[in-house]
Amino acid sequence: MSSEIELQIAPIVQESLMHNSRTFQNLQSLTASLFGVSAGILGLESYSGFLFYIIFSLLTSVLFYIIRVAPTSISSGKKPLDTSRYFLGAVDFWTGGLMNGLAGFILTWTLFYGLVSA
Amino acid sequence: MAPSVFRSPVQLPPAEALELSKQAPAILRSSANTASTSAIGAIFSAPEKPEEWITYENLILSSLRTGDDKAANQCLARLVARFGENNERVMALRGLIKEAEAQNDGELEKILKEYDQILSENDTNIPIAKRRVALLRSMGRLSDAASTLVQLLDFSPTDAEAWSELSDLYLAQGLYPQAIYAEEEVLVLAPNAWNVHARLGELQYMAATASGADGGSYQKHLAEALKRFSRSIELCDDYLRGYYGLKLVTGTILKDSGKPAKLTDEGDFVLPDTKTIERLNELATAKLAEIVRHSTAQDRGWRGYSAAEVAAARELLSEDSSSGIVR
Amino acid sequence: MAQVPVQTIHRDPQLFYWILFPITIVMVLTGILRHYATVLMASAPKKLDQKTMREQRGLVHGINVRGNFHTLSKRSFNARRDALITAYESGAYLKDPENQGQPPPNPLSDPGSMEGMMGMMKNQMAMIIPNTLIMSWINAFFSGYVIMKLPFPLTIKFKSMLQAGVATKDMDPRWMSSISWYFLCIFGLQSVFNFILGNDNAANQMAQQMGQMGPQTAQMFGPGVDPNKQFLAEAENLAVIDHYSVLDNVEDRLLKSIRV
Repeated sequence: MSSEIELQIAPIVQESLMHNSRTFQNLQSLTASLFGVSAGILGLESYSGFLFYIIFSLLTSVLFYIIRVAPTSISSGKKPLDTSRYFLGAVDFWTGGLMNGLAGFILTWTLFYGLVSA
Repeated sequence: MAPSVFRSPVQLPPAEALELSKQAPAILRSSANTASTSAIGAIFSAPEKPEEWITYENLILSSLRTGDDKAANQCLARLVARFGENNERVMALRGLIKEAEAQNDGELEKILKEYDQILSENDTNIPIAKRRVALLRSMGRLSDAASTLVQLLDFSPTDAEAWSELSDLYLAQGLYPQAIYAEEEVLVLAPNAWNVHARLGELQYMAATASGADGGSYQKHLAEALKRFSRSIELCDDYLRGYYGLKLVTGTILKDSGKPAKLTDEGDFVLPDTKTIERLNELATAKLAEIVRHSTAQDRGWRGYSAAEVAAARELLSEDSSSGIVR
Repeated sequence: MAQVPVQTIHRDPQLFYWILFPITIVMVLTGILRHYATVLMASAPKKLDQKTMREQRGLVHGINVRGNFHTLSKRSFNARRDALITAYESGAYLKDPENQGQPPPNPLSDPGSMEGMMGMMKNQMAMIIPNTLIMSWINAFFSGYVIMKLPFPLTIKFKSMLQAGVATKDMDPRWMSSISWYFLCIFGLQSVFNFILGNDNAANQMAQQMGQMGPQTAQMFGPGVDPNKQFLAEAENLAVIDHYSVLDNVEDRLLKSIRV
């Protein structure tokens, strides 16, 4: 109940929140496809390919945080790595991208792997 | 902020509206004359943007304000070409232009008849219904306008714009409780609108200071006004109207603190203790001074205050320092 | 364990030009076509008569009051609550008050609700028809070709899925036939559509299916729902609200949060 009151006192605008997460999702699905292209061209196979994907999509999240979120979020008194100024769930922010882009990654990875190694 | 054709010009000061309507010929010339209606033409022409139509609508409003009826009619012709004669919004704009061109009351009466005719065919044509209310109001028939608006709100109670207009109509007739009720309805629909909170505070303050308010309701109105202004500032930092109202209300309360505080019913807001009110007054004074100083100096991040509001705040501050008692 | 030699199959590079690219391009184009077809077929919001509008907006008004009661003072909230509950319980907002208490009409006989169902049917059609067409197209022209190798190993179970129509028992399940490329495209092209068509596109059937599972606001006034029941439920919801206001102690919060 108390958190409900807090939300009513300091309201969160749903539209802005949706816009933020949608922008972030777009970035992630686009970069995931590009990572697929590079993994395919590099000829990565099985685990190394997935590892490549995980590392780079986490790197995207970190860069996004450092460049877009951190400057205003830290100056407004949030702790480092706390994304609650712009996004709802922290887990969603850091790992949601992995799921979002996976299908696109596999598609382009397969395509370019097939094209290059054929 | 520079006037932009994408923002509604309803609240612009006259000079900026004039500047906007001067752009009308250039905009009309720069864009193609007719929106193509055939399917094949639509494929080859550039994709239309919603901004274009908003631009025309806003140009109509500002041209009418500055008396450029010709440009307004041209803009309307483009909108008709795109959306057809029977689009509700286009019908309302056409009515607006006719109202502006009307020379005497007889013509206005005729337009009113036309509106009635349209509404008898389609009783959910909300833009026309609103135009009818506005026309009644501009003809000075306030209570007719209010009752028409109440009818509209009966079948469409989720229209914040209409509630807000109703509140204004009641205020013009001096009916404070009704005006407050209508403004509260706006707040129910838009709970986080700080300007509506401040507006409600203003209404409460007016209701309190109007003659005829007895001790109990006086206290009640002032207490709620104080809280409303505080809330509007809480929602929007550095909100000039909020601080202005807060200073006025706390000043009034402190000045009249001799009056015995009546016990109020359960369910009303109670005034905080005198010390809190004093601190609020100090806060408001300091903030107002800060806003006036920064916006006069045109500091970065402090632009965008309306000049009239800043001037009013400065006047309030100087009044305060010359009388020098109320702190 | 002996190292299993890596299977290599020599494929004609023309396979790419005549199978892979056609399938991919057709998938993208159908996605775009589907998007525009949905845009074109979207029927304009139906014109409501005054009574229906009153009924719907009356209910929305009640929901708004319930959701935003915290902006009102206790006295004004109570006044609104009492008025709304009385109106709801007496059926003042109903489209036709004499029907109160009767079961809702059969949604199939009401022409208004038929239209809503038609809209849903159209959406379903826009999804099903292109899919079946493309599936049969691929099956008719490209079945039996092995076109690519997946870059990651899979268990033998996937063999029947990926190599449908390729009757080779010993082939590594990593090799995939044209139909499995089609499935991969269905799942992976969302980002491409996002890029081409903008965000709220209707191109991807996955996204559409997700949307259909989500809560639907249109369902609130949909066919077969008894408005009187909704009003009574809303009256009950309003009655149980324990009122408080965001204006309580707002001045203390303000003094605490703002420093000059």
